[in-house]
Amino acid sequence: MTMERRSFMRAAAGALTTTVALSGAPALAQDEPLQVALGDIASVESLNLLIAMERAGERGVPMEMTFFNSEDVAVQAVLSGEVDIGVGAPYAFIQNSDAPIRMFYRMSTLMFFPVVNSDVYSGWEDLDGEEVTVHSRGSGTEALMRLMEQKHGIEYSQISYVPGSEVRAGAMLQGTVNATIVDAANFRLLQQEGGDKFQRLPLEGVNATDEALYATTDVMEARAEDMQIFVEELLGTWADIAENPEIVGELRAEYGLLQDLPDNVASEAVPYYAEAVENGVYPTDGGEPSDVADDIAFLAAAGQVSGDPEEIDPERFWNFDLLEAAKAAN
Amino acid sequence: MASMSRTDNAGGPAHGLTTRWASALSDTPAFWKIVSLAILFGAWEFAGRIDFNYAFPGFLETMAALFEMLTDGSMAKAYLRTFEPLAIGLVISLTVGISAGVGMGLRRDVEWLSLPIFITMQAAPMAALIPLVTFVYGIGLASKVLAVVMLSLPVIAINSYKAVRNVPPSLVDMSRSFMGSRRQQILGIILPAASPMMFAGIRLGVAEGFSGAVLAELLITPTGIGDLITFNRSVAKFAHMYAAIFSIVALAVIAVSLLHRLEMTLFRPEKRGV
Repeated sequence: MTMERRSFMRAAAGALTTTVALSGAPALAQDEPLQVALGDIASVESLNLLIAMERAGERGVPMEMTFFNSEDVAVQAVLSGEVDIGVGAPYAFIQNSDAPIRMFYRMSTLMFFPVVNSDVYSGWEDLDGEEVTVHSRGSGTEALMRLMEQKHGIEYSQISYVPGSEVRAGAMLQGTVNATIVDAANFRLLQQEGGDKFQRLPLEGVNATDEALYATTDVMEARAEDMQIFVEELLGTWADIAENPEIVGELRAEYGLLQDLPDNVASEAVPYYAEAVENGVYPTDGGEPSDVADDIAFLAAAGQVSGDPEEIDPERFWNFDLLEAAKAAN
Repeated sequence: MASMSRTDNAGGPAHGLTTRWASALSDTPAFWKIVSLAILFGAWEFAGRIDFNYAFPGFLETMAALFEMLTDGSMAKAYLRTFEPLAIGLVISLTVGISAGVGMGLRRDVEWLSLPIFITMQAAPMAALIPLVTFVYGIGLASKVLAVVMLSLPVIAINSYKAVRNVPPSLVDMSRSFMGSRRQQILGIILPAASPMMFAGIRLGVAEGFSGAVLAELLITPTGIGDLITFNRSVAKFAHMYAAIFSIVALAVIAVSLLHRLEMTLFRPEKRGV
């Protein structure tokens, strides 16, 4: 064995020992940042979460956000341990795969706006036998429209799928679509461009989420303290925004969040949160076991999950321990 | 395989029976195909059973889901939607691709004019370009047809061009020495000589067309088989999702194999039965 080879072997052995020593040191894991997986790109709608993450960081729990192409990929990353916390509502995933992940914080309730062209329709009853356009099969928008179909005793002739609220809003403006469902930003766009031409249909009695935080049961146990601090900050931030939505703008500047946002988009942040708070989009209690039944009822309408909402055990999908501990500490 | 059996035979009479069996089996390509598939599906089932991933169903579970989708009509309905852009796109690709390829092979000026376009199309990452198509053509049938064409056309055109260009010059010389007209030269010599390679290009192009149709349905609007994949993924019915993917792979393999057979029957009589 030559000198070079021997020293290489020694270096390799040294590296191996260090790796083994590092991987066998659980104490270090506590210092690693909690990774949050978002199945989308960050927008003004993620500002409240980002603020809570910054505040958790100030209390000694460093946090990082990672962006994924879709929520399905985010769930896989959480399951494989590449990230710690996911954003979404993986009810169907939990029900069909029995994976050990549980939701622990309800970030928002759905805010969508069913819109019709008032020249053609004037209420839910007019949509009986007519075509409506939603995001995609099995999506929240389809679930909402299906739920309204049941509530109003009507039946659509067809449901078409056009992904993207902005695309559907564009189609409404062009007149190729006369009944659809869009998000808050695009509803505002329709109001600006079309005025009274686009009429919002009432959505009553819908209490469902597509944005909850979830983690594996292992992470919830192993990082219980860190997770509790994070949940405390989530509750605090949500309460602060509910009290005064304008702080979103101030805290965005203070923490330097989403600095790449163009001015016209960033200026939408405060009006967005003001409107969302007014509509009760951001619950300040982080979710209740009774909300789980509502979520199940809603998702069952879209064919995503099965089972009777009243008989389903909330513990199968949720872990309320962190939330209760955080509420007690607050 | 045959030579291997002969070597084994020399090993002694004890090996005689097994080697004869092996020799008989080696002459049965269907047997080896089945063994190969059995190993693949066995490994799949094994991987599904050891639960290495919560979203990975075993082979049997996937086949049960496939059977369910075949019997409840959802798969047939999905394929009716998927075949529309696929068929239109392939007809356009075959017509334009073969004509352009032959044109480029026969004439230098056509080659200089068109070849760079096809090479660019072939080299460009189409999955990144397909969403851009929607900006111009919207989210309807036209965009999906274009996605199929974008993937299959360059392969068909470039292979046809290479096939025509690589026709042995001696054959063309022979035609010339027999005073063959240009028309006779093209129809009687060049095209028949180029057809095997052109067909290879067509096979690849059809396979690419399947990719294009599925990509369009995954990236533009979820319809047909793309809808079955995205919907079942979104509701975490992974066995159904894998069944949909399995069906499109199987269908593409069958289509390409049928084309191969057609090629053998039409152009390669000497290879028949091999």
